[in-house]
Amino acid sequence: MSLCPPYAPFFGFAGVASSMIFSTVGAAYGTSKAGIGIAGLGQFKPELIMKSLIPVVMSGIIAVYGLVVSVLIAGGRKSHLTVRASMRLRLLRSLFNTINSAHFSSVDPSQDYPLFAGFVHLGAGLACGFTGLAAGYAIGIVGDSCVRAYVHESRVFVAMVLILIFAEVLGLYGLIVALIMNTKATEAKCS
Amino acid sequence: MSAQTVVAKATDQAYQGGVLIKLIIFSLTLGILPLGSYFLSDKYLWNGNSIYSAITAIVAANLVLVSYIVLSLMEDRQDQKDMAATANAVQESKKSR
Repeated sequence: MSLCPPYAPFFGFAGVASSMIFSTVGAAYGTSKAGIGIAGLGQFKPELIMKSLIPVVMSGIIAVYGLVVSVLIAGGRKSHLTVRASMRLRLLRSLFNTINSAHFSSVDPSQDYPLFAGFVHLGAGLACGFTGLAAGYAIGIVGDSCVRAYVHESRVFVAMVLILIFAEVLGLYGLIVALIMNTKATEAKCS
Repeated sequence: MSAQTVVAKATDQAYQGGVLIKLIIFSLTLGILPLGSYFLSDKYLWNGNSIYSAITAIVAANLVLVSYIVLSLMEDRQDQKDMAATANAVQESKKSR
């Protein structure tokens, strides 16, 4: 059994996809549940709408966490890229190239992709995705009920922001674990 | 102009003042700034070290969040000042009658 079987990129790309998918599901739940509360609040006190949109912004950040991990796994780069003369066209082209270029630890069909790296990438994607799901779920429920309470008592605002920060840090923990796991993927060799 | 319409107009202006444009700007910033900072810092700041550029993207996203919270708090304080000013105006109009 070889260390770089042809089905190894399946796990790598499954990690990329699962990171984006699950964190987006969490962010969608958070946005929609908080949006229900904001629609209720908007009927009575429309001047509080800007402050009560904070759960929605935090749900968006959960989705950004998943996006960053997906981009990180799918497109890492070697550090040999040098910066030539800074012309605007070259900048645009090189930005485009960094998205498409490949590193040993990222998924590239021209190079052998070790199964170890595939499993590590799958674990990283799942770690970020499921913690994003949990964080989005918490942000949605907390945002909904705290925003409804904010109509009657304005001092709930500080408590709401504190609880939301704690809920969002859950997603951040998953992202940190995904980052740490991603560095381990470069240690695998093919022979 | 009666007291009730003065207060109603003040609250109307207070929350219609560019809420939509602020939301659009924040949504675009939340989408573009983390990814842009990831790629740009990966290329120019950290020389390919992807962990540091991911951390830069996270810091950028959280900066957007903090700036949104600060902006909403400032807007709320401005609204309260406006409400106090219109309450004074209502008092004056009642006295002058």
